Amino acid sequence: MFLEIFLTLALGTIVYLFFSRKKEETLPIEEGWWGKGQKPDSEEDATVRPFKVETTEAELNDLFRRLDQTRFTEPLEDSYFHYGFNSVYLREVVSYWRNQFNWKKQVEVLNKFPQFKTKIEGLDVHFVHVKPPSLPEGRSAKPLLMVHGWPGSVYEFYKIIPLLTDPASHGLSDEHIFEVICPSIPGYGFSEASHKKGFNSVSAAGIFYKLMLRLGFNEFYAQGGDWGWLICTNLAQIAPNHVKGLHLNMVSVTNMRFTQLLSILLGRYFPGLFGFQDEDVRRMFPFLKKGPYMILMESGYAHIQATKPDTAGCGLNDSPVGLAAYILEKFSTWTEPEFRKLEDGGLERKYSLDDLLTNVMLYWVSGCMVSAMRFYKENIGKGIGTQKHEKLSVRVPTGIASFPNELLHTPRSWAQQKYVNIISFNFMPRGGHFAAFEEPELLAIDIQQFVGKVEKKEVWKEKGK
Amino acid sequence: MWQQILQSVRSLEYPRRNAVLAPAALGAGGLLVCWLLSRRKIKTLAMGDGWWGSGERPPREKEDETIQCFQIETSDREIQELHQRLDQARYIPPLEGAAFQYGFNSTYLQRVVAYWRNQFDWRKQLEILNQYPHFKTTIEGIEVHFVHVKPSRVPKGQAARPLLMVHGWPGSFYEFYKIIPLLTDPAGQGLNEDVVFEVICPSIPGYGFSEAPHQQGFDTLAAARIFHKLMQRLGFQEFYVQGGDWGSRITTNMAQMLPKSVKGLHLNFIFITSGGLGMLVSLLLGAYVPWLVGLTREDSRRLFPYFEKNVYDLLRETGYLHIQATKPDTAGCALNDSPVGLAAYILEKFSTWTDKSFRNMDNGGLERKFSLDDLLTHVMIYWVTSSIVSSMRFYKENVSKNPNAAPDARVGVYVPTGLAAFPQELAHTPRSWAKKKFKNIVTYSYMPRGGHFAAFEEPELLAQDIRQLVKKVEHL
Repeated sequence: MFLEIFLTLALGTIVYLFFSRKKEETLPIEEGWWGKGQKPDSEEDATVRPFKVETTEAELNDLFRRLDQTRFTEPLEDSYFHYGFNSVYLREVVSYWRNQFNWKKQVEVLNKFPQFKTKIEGLDVHFVHVKPPSLPEGRSAKPLLMVHGWPGSVYEFYKIIPLLTDPASHGLSDEHIFEVICPSIPGYGFSEASHKKGFNSVSAAGIFYKLMLRLGFNEFYAQGGDWGWLICTNLAQIAPNHVKGLHLNMVSVTNMRFTQLLSILLGRYFPGLFGFQDEDVRRMFPFLKKGPYMILMESGYAHIQATKPDTAGCGLNDSPVGLAAYILEKFSTWTEPEFRKLEDGGLERKYSLDDLLTNVMLYWVSGCMVSAMRFYKENIGKGIGTQKHEKLSVRVPTGIASFPNELLHTPRSWAQQKYVNIISFNFMPRGGHFAAFEEPELLAIDIQQFVGKVEKKEVWKEKGK
Repeated sequence: MWQQILQSVRSLEYPRRNAVLAPAALGAGGLLVCWLLSRRKIKTLAMGDGWWGSGERPPREKEDETIQCFQIETSDREIQELHQRLDQARYIPPLEGAAFQYGFNSTYLQRVVAYWRNQFDWRKQLEILNQYPHFKTTIEGIEVHFVHVKPSRVPKGQAARPLLMVHGWPGSFYEFYKIIPLLTDPAGQGLNEDVVFEVICPSIPGYGFSEAPHQQGFDTLAAARIFHKLMQRLGFQEFYVQGGDWGSRITTNMAQMLPKSVKGLHLNFIFITSGGLGMLVSLLLGAYVPWLVGLTREDSRRLFPYFEKNVYDLLRETGYLHIQATKPDTAGCALNDSPVGLAAYILEKFSTWTDKSFRNMDNGGLERKFSLDDLLTHVMIYWVTSSIVSSMRFYKENVSKNPNAAPDARVGVYVPTGLAAFPQELAHTPRSWAKKKFKNIVTYSYMPRGGHFAAFEEPELLAQDIRQLVKKVEHL
């Protein structure tokens, strides 16, 4: 049956491609207003205010009360993680959360990096801003914007930030030292959620662009995975002259072309013909199992969030255990699909419960799950491949770190259709979807070598002039 | 003409005659064999067997087949706990102008919850629920709950016809409470008493008061077999079946498994798993020349524009199906812990599946067709039994990798079938498409109004259609 669907799609696409053409233009920056009610006539308050995460006894007691009254449902015998988060293991996680997890201590961890808020287009935007502790003589820090995704947060970057701002102390080369800015996507964590419909990745890119300008950065690097991938891509499309380099740990191709379809059919047998390397073939085939079947098995959440986010998020904003199960299931399966066969979902193999629960707490204390889910509807609610930005290419120098356990593998030859200026594409030896969280060193090294390549090209360009 | 052929054959010399007769005989014989074989193609679904209790099936123990009376009860503690959870609910305001486009509107949800907290009387609703006799019996290792209503009086010369009615998701046996009197006591409801039923409404295992299976693999075939055993246990050899949503597929499976027991099959929802070339052609041409591809004008009106009405809408409305068919334990976790979340999730369906235009209303049009008391009773059934997760698992067990390879996809349905097509049903299935699977359609009715929860929303229309089917089957 998949073969039939697939062949029909192939036929349809051939016809479609006949009539489509990629346009070479920049994406226009849209002026938005996402605050409550009417946009006021007065000018927006552009001050940048320091921010600290806080908690109260009342907040903790409310959480504990809810954890204590959780109603669990026994899993089916021998179902492991095949039906979703196994509730036997969930009980263990909740017990840890209730008795050992120390939120006050984690808040201190969160506050060790300076945080701020500033109003842009009617919304209070939260961000972490870390400058290098020291800079060698005559050197300057390179501004790097890092954008998280769902169900992640700025906390995903807490391990990689020191490797980028202070590489020498962590055994890495200090050829490139960064000043890192990690904003929370509006609707996530401590960034205010949009009150208006239509807040999508291009809107977020516009807001982050304004943020960087407000912080005084005219040129900067951008890095992202999950929604961060799309927002940074859009940023490179709306402001190509400001984005020096775009680094991605996830790439998704939504505009399927004829050559790609052909490569799916024949790529296993003639990899060279389609620009596939051995590693590409290893990761992509058998295609039906690793492609469409995987997508179907793992995209239920995206389907419901792209259509009924308010319904889907309602219970999650009321039951912390339900929220944890929903979020942590992704940290299991998207780190390693084989973890579905384990009773505990292999969660603690790559992460500590403290780190995982801190991320969950960010969704809980800010009550942002519903607005976070709405982002799916705003971006893919009308269908994948329908948005203008999906048809535009990216000219900015791009670096791609391809992690082996990412849900879907995108070979360089496919990515090149959109990212026409890929100067670095590396197969990572290990790691999954939450790259910065799981393999911060690997990612930091790849970002550094990418930036190195960009700067070398710049030097050549300068010399050429 | 025949005379001439006979003459010419008879006039042939022997060798030539053999040369003509031999192949002719072979041909005729071959046709006869083919015809005989094709008659055997009326196959049934294998019944199989199952065990759904905890752990291993006890080897020599015979199952306890007694039927116990059952009453739904509650306690002060249960109600207090519910109230406490309602009081602590956390809401997020909807986007400006969103109505029900993003799912259940939380502003309206707060009003529903206020009613639930302050006016809804669960004890009074329990009295309503207990007005019909409830029972439980153990089948294949799990307790199966059902409502069994006999007519108070049966007119002379008639026997009450047993009718099994099966609910779906997110419904329950309660959906049938308005239609039961129309079927068991037609005279008292202003209908002709030429057809009187005795109604059995079970809860699908994993739903409501039926125990949830402990083993993997509990699909509609297993439910069908369990319901067959239930009917046999109640002493019925022949009976009618009716269903919508999952109930439709379960009752269809029952007809496929044991056609001689199912006198008639009535459906208000039709599952079509494989379309085939014929369906594709009728889709491509149906908007322009419906009569050519077996579509009526009403079919045309309900189906086209196909992409807009069906494909996009189906994609818009099947997110729940997708997540429940893949990660039911995750999807249901919060809903079993937050009654408000559970209500939003369930009642969104009672809004959108009753009338798609309700998505544009701030209150989802919920109270236009249903009372809050009735709607919240449905939610309470899921809440007090903690059955939301097991109800969702049913989706995973039934949505297989390849629907065309599922055993019930290849077996036709030969029992007399009545189809009721409600205009606001999620997807419209024309008679010409249904015919591919249902080989013996006796009635096909375009209902004037109503959506997915037909028995709940339009009990009179549905009762009328069921009675019409039975009359046709019995030549009344």
